[in-house]
Amino acid sequence: MVELDLVDFAVDYARQKGASYAEARYEHQTNEDFILKNSVLDALYFGEDAGIGVRVLANGGLGFGATNSMAKGDVKALVDDTVKIAKAAHRKDPIVFPPENPVVTNWSVPQVKKLSNVPVEEKIEEILHIDRELMDLKFKIPARFFQQSNKQIDKYFVNSEGSKIRSFSPRVRLFYFLTVQHNGNVEQTYQNYGWSGGWEAVNELQMRRRVIDEAKSMENSLEHGKKSPEGKMDLVVGPQVSGIAAHESCGHPTEADRVLGREAAQAGKSFITPASIGQRVGSPVVNVCDDPTIEHGIAFYAYDDEGVKARRRYLYKDGIINEFLQNRETAAILGTRSNGSARATTYNVEAIVRMANTYVEPKDWGLDEMISGVKFGVYMKSFMEWNIDDKRYNAKYAGREAYLIENGQVTTPVRKTVIELTTPTFWGAVDAVGKDLEIFHAGFCGKSDPGQALDAALGGASMRLRNVYLR
Amino acid sequence: MEDYAERIVDKAIALGCQDAVADVAVNRSYQIRFAQNQIVISNRWRETTASVFLVYKKRVVASDIKDLTKIDPQVENLVRIAKASQENPDYAGIAKGPFKYDRPAVDKKIIDLSDGSDHVQAAVNAALAEGANECAGSFWKYDEEHYLRTSNGARGVDRRASLYLSIRALVSLESSGHGVACATKASQFDPEKAGHKAGKIAALAKNPVGGEAGKFDIVFDPLIFGSLIDQVGGRTGAWTVMAGLSPYAKKLGKKVASSEVTIIDDGSADSIGRKRFDAEGVPPKRHAIVNKGILKTYLHNTSTAKKFKTKTTGNAGLISPDAHALFCKPGTWTRDEIFEECKDGLWLTNTWYTRYQSYVTGDFSTIPRDGIFRIKNGEVVGTWKDIRLTDNLINVWKSVEGLSKNVDQVQWWGEVYVPTFAPYALARGIGITRSAE
Repeated sequence: MVELDLVDFAVDYARQKGASYAEARYEHQTNEDFILKNSVLDALYFGEDAGIGVRVLANGGLGFGATNSMAKGDVKALVDDTVKIAKAAHRKDPIVFPPENPVVTNWSVPQVKKLSNVPVEEKIEEILHIDRELMDLKFKIPARFFQQSNKQIDKYFVNSEGSKIRSFSPRVRLFYFLTVQHNGNVEQTYQNYGWSGGWEAVNELQMRRRVIDEAKSMENSLEHGKKSPEGKMDLVVGPQVSGIAAHESCGHPTEADRVLGREAAQAGKSFITPASIGQRVGSPVVNVCDDPTIEHGIAFYAYDDEGVKARRRYLYKDGIINEFLQNRETAAILGTRSNGSARATTYNVEAIVRMANTYVEPKDWGLDEMISGVKFGVYMKSFMEWNIDDKRYNAKYAGREAYLIENGQVTTPVRKTVIELTTPTFWGAVDAVGKDLEIFHAGFCGKSDPGQALDAALGGASMRLRNVYLR
Repeated sequence: MEDYAERIVDKAIALGCQDAVADVAVNRSYQIRFAQNQIVISNRWRETTASVFLVYKKRVVASDIKDLTKIDPQVENLVRIAKASQENPDYAGIAKGPFKYDRPAVDKKIIDLSDGSDHVQAAVNAALAEGANECAGSFWKYDEEHYLRTSNGARGVDRRASLYLSIRALVSLESSGHGVACATKASQFDPEKAGHKAGKIAALAKNPVGGEAGKFDIVFDPLIFGSLIDQVGGRTGAWTVMAGLSPYAKKLGKKVASSEVTIIDDGSADSIGRKRFDAEGVPPKRHAIVNKGILKTYLHNTSTAKKFKTKTTGNAGLISPDAHALFCKPGTWTRDEIFEECKDGLWLTNTWYTRYQSYVTGDFSTIPRDGIFRIKNGEVVGTWKDIRLTDNLINVWKSVEGLSKNVDQVQWWGEVYVPTFAPYALARGIGITRSAE
């Protein structure tokens, strides 16, 4: 392919122009989005995004350039520019990358039912079917919005150390947003599920069941829900809440570029410092992992966008801050090796430190077992509103589906339960972790400048927290 | 590039489409990111993208074509996909051209700028001079050309060029300030001012203590007030209203803010969001979204306008209407008067992570970041940290009592997505929460 030759050319030419290190990444992404609003197929988006991103180290500075022109002259001009802007950085302390062994490989995610073989009509019918089943419930659902998205990413990565990696990654998502009304009250939800693989995702993720179950729980909450109790009590959270906490209150603060200040201006810093490794942040039962190699997790990859082999990272282990997410740049500063955390959303942005599939590692508790040990508290199964400060210390997770626990039994639904706790308070209160791992809640993780909204899985097992303040 | 746009539209019509739009954008933007007072990476883009919108028997398909050497097969594929799709009964066509557009006015000094490192250095030095010891941020030279052609007779060319800088200055992890600079003329670009502002706030924010929950009068700095204005612009898009993502449904003609508040969308005025045409080719114009506290209009394209029995406001995006640039009408107060009227409250300088518990009711929270100051009798008497603004969007807007005479153009990373002209503002009795012990 001409494009692949150009990738090799870009790297070789950058070295000729004085780059001490060069890499180039060709990507071809096919994106389909089916947008259904209030039973009307508003639009179908179909895009093919392709181009080359070139990153170089020259005179201790980093430069990145991107083009979607596949003309050799344009790629050459881009490399000229990229080397030039890298050299213009005039840094006091040069950026260096620690050594990595060259990798020549080809990896891909298998599809049971290839996305490219599924007709457009079948994909549309899937969301129409969900919408019809939803309306058959005869609830008052004045606003319904579904977005079904399919992405296929072909990549070819080359660097000046001899790595050449080709990959193919298909991904499927379902996003939905529902508004349910009952007796003048309103409940809203949004959910986002994702899968690395083919159209088998529809069955594997049980998309139809999930949407219907959610609508039923919203109606139930509106019909029978009480005000959530306020005060200190026990809390059991479901995998979705564990997942958002794993992502926001563990994954982000352990990103080494945040820890080192490279992201300070926009996505922020971290309460964790380089000296925090080994310090306690949670109870001894808390293990939070980030693992790109989880099969079918939406952020699956075998090698990252710097050509480093992916592996599981224990970010919090036994309640202790254990490891940062690293790319080659941060690893050099911290005197370690990259653990394969560099990713970019598309060819036209630099790869930076990112989470992949982040989750609370399951243990051996059953959900009923955890609930039976609570005299009075709340079981928060899912959330709606959430946010966290930029140092990742003060988080809020506000309940969507939640229930009162009385004498070890789940009783009535409660509405708008609010968890507003510091990161150590949240993780420090965990006394039991379930065995019910779910890893298919998919987020768009926002970071970098220009912003890169990247596929990330937020998962976990249910957890029980003792004596935390809720309102 | 005009030829590409023309070819896409002609091909779609030849294949049986009723409507087609092509906007070929040539992106030559350049960015420097900096952290710890030095450049961490410079980015350069050389890209050409055709945003395409076509309609076959009310079946709507949108796309971005990146490979302009293969226009015919790509348009054929899009039409094939459209034929396999379903009718959108709400689709009501695209605006009828031709249209007359203002002449583009682009500063050649911006176009010719090839190195922005002096601007970065100026901002960093200014912040350091105020007492900061760590600065991070980004400098942007935005440079885009757009070539638009629609099957309904719109044809236009637009060069959009501007300079932007965002700087966060830190004295420590919890003592920081933020400043931004935006300009469409190089002579008006003032990164140094942004650096001084960020540095001053950071230096003032030393040794913060944990804040308290309660109701407080708030002085909003333009950057955080811009975020609230951005929420109004974003939530008054007609598509957003129909999708249940807005507290402004069924509120046209009703009070949604205090009578001090007038918010205008104007893509035709000078701002870094200025453009000559929307995605249907309609020239943007000045219109009040909120006038003296009353919701006057949603933002429309041709299809949403028909649904709401009105006319397009010239805010078409490819699928949903969006604001171009938002202007909060200045008030009559000086900045000092705004502070003097805050007897017992807070001064918030920036925020992020605005999220809703219910878009329909407008119940939301957002997390102030950078300097948070305790104000008594108009004076800064302390610095806080670790609080959250937890309230209702419409309530916050109804609580606005005063606006400053001077406004700043702000834009910032997701929170102030649309370029916004924001004053200082005083609002009464706003909810503040904090993490429990």
